[in-house]
Amino acid sequence: MTINTQVSNDTTLVILVGEKFDFVLVDSFRRAYEDLPAEIRQIDVDLSATQYMDSSALGMLLNMQKVLAGRQLVYRIINCRPQIARILEISRFNKKFDIE
Amino acid sequence: MLKVLIVDDEEINRIMLAEMLREAGYADCIEAENGIKAIEKAREYKPDIVLLDVIMPGMSGIEAAPLLKATSPECHMPVLFITSLDDEESLVRCLECGGDDFISKPFEKVILKAKLAAHARSRRQSLEIKDKNRSLTYFQQEVERNHRIVEHIFDNALTHNSVEKSYFDLYSQPTTQFNGDLFLCEKSPSGGVYLFVGDFTSHGLASAIGAIPVAQSFSSMTKRGLAVEEIAYRLNALLYSLLPVDMFCVAAIIEFTQKGDQFTVWSGGLPRMALKTSDNSLRHTIDAQHMPLGILSNDEFEQTCQVFHAQAGDTLLMYTDGLMECQHPIHGLLGEEGIEAWFLAEASVSSDTLVKKATEYRGGLPPDDDLTVVQFSCRPFEFEIARNKRIEVPFTLSFHLRAGHIKQAKLIDHLMRIVNGVPGLAVIRSEIFTVLTELTNNAIEHGLLGMCSQMKAEPEGFIEYYELRAERLAKLTEGDIWIDISYPVKQNVTNTGQQGLLEIAVRDNGPGFTETTLKGADDQAFGRGLALVRELSEQVDITDGGNKTRVLLKV
Repeated sequence: MTINTQVSNDTTLVILVGEKFDFVLVDSFRRAYEDLPAEIRQIDVDLSATQYMDSSALGMLLNMQKVLAGRQLVYRIINCRPQIARILEISRFNKKFDIE
Repeated sequence: MLKVLIVDDEEINRIMLAEMLREAGYADCIEAENGIKAIEKAREYKPDIVLLDVIMPGMSGIEAAPLLKATSPECHMPVLFITSLDDEESLVRCLECGGDDFISKPFEKVILKAKLAAHARSRRQSLEIKDKNRSLTYFQQEVERNHRIVEHIFDNALTHNSVEKSYFDLYSQPTTQFNGDLFLCEKSPSGGVYLFVGDFTSHGLASAIGAIPVAQSFSSMTKRGLAVEEIAYRLNALLYSLLPVDMFCVAAIIEFTQKGDQFTVWSGGLPRMALKTSDNSLRHTIDAQHMPLGILSNDEFEQTCQVFHAQAGDTLLMYTDGLMECQHPIHGLLGEEGIEAWFLAEASVSSDTLVKKATEYRGGLPPDDDLTVVQFSCRPFEFEIARNKRIEVPFTLSFHLRAGHIKQAKLIDHLMRIVNGVPGLAVIRSEIFTVLTELTNNAIEHGLLGMCSQMKAEPEGFIEYYELRAERLAKLTEGDIWIDISYPVKQNVTNTGQQGLLEIAVRDNGPGFTETTLKGADDQAFGRGLALVRELSEQVDITDGGNKTRVLLKV
């Protein structure tokens, strides 16, 4: 598994990332939020399965916000495992994302 | 060929009979002149049919018949009396003492032959039955022996550890009966707990046999702290390859965090789980989202999990369908609603109580399916985290990668598989992955491919960067990367505590890079790699004009 998406409550796009979140996913991660329907108000990146992450993943997350800068969206990163939460914390990602 | 014992005190009769038998095709004859001799010969030669004179000196035929019969206890041995008597009383006595038929004197060849043929038939049938009985007995013993062996393996493979007793309220049938239900419980490296609640199709040994590979594999995967999705995927692949097509395993795989207030669920076909609050209201019901394990191929398999949040004092109920598939003469099927009504009726309804209620519901009859009930009242797990299996011997893993190796898409995966094989490194495998990926990618992208991270400043550039990377990597013909992973660290440690530090050193022979070119602002999509590595590690040294990076990680 690499990246899966689903829409919940009609207004939230959930992006499910697989075990490894690294540069191999650059393309499929971008495709996950391409052609975003107008009614989407929130993007949840679900990292419940993710155990490994590198800095390109951080880049992908920030890049998503840049690409979608024109839209009023809430960004959340949800269900992180402790190791992943630590990387996000080190990188101060709480400034740009709601981390649950 | 059948053996015939001829017992007569008159030699002339014996000779005549033997001759007639030979003509009829029974060449293998034994002779005896009275009852006592007959029994001795019967024991020695094991005849198939006995021709027995009635009146003889010493022991008469009437006395000898039951004793002769006793020499062939497992198998019918026809005894035919030779008699010139024709009064009813004598004939009845002959049959009462165990005889099967008469041959009248004087002998008539045709009758003798026909009677022998008839009795030979029943003897042969009896021998066949004896043979079959013997193989049946053998087979039965074999099955029992196999059961004992499997039982032994079972007990050893599925020994329940101490976690469940203290944290989980479990009802399950005794393991001595082969059980298609499987409950597994393992600590996770991060201090939480993994559960497996499963139910193989059918009953008995056949259904239970699948439990062994599942238990072994589950145990090793949980020790490595794999994600629930990954565990589900791998168990499915395992059972898909092992089980016959009509067999599968209904299962839920759950991981609880150390605090016990969040859990990740993959459920394939298990009855709806229920989570209730401390004041007995239903917080969540958790329906199975997937097909059971062992049905779908790897491509078809869906590993998506659900994540739920709980509060301390909540209770999670999980069970196999044996509990809810109870039929009541009037109220019908119990179902998930019935179970949930009982579950929510009181503050604490033990798993045993639920089983008792289900038994009452079906009118006292024992359940006709295997049945497992597990409850967890949400609270933090407080066992010592096996933080480290100590690393017992010093080691260096040394990799020399040439252009051909560097081009491999799964390079880091291959390296990680080797690193993960070192006991004691599992706990920090996420950190090792991040460090190894950063350093290796820096060596590839900046050292060998001469890429510039500034490209990544713009959204389009970010994608272009990785396209360019792929393009240049494909053309790479020369370049080496050396990776050394050592424990304990080798030298030049500025920190005092050398103990417990793992060294990861990555060197390349490209043009090199300087760290200053890698600094980006907080919101830039690049330049975070080395900063991240610095935060994760104890010490980072960059030498050889940027070609060599050494990182020390706390183990």
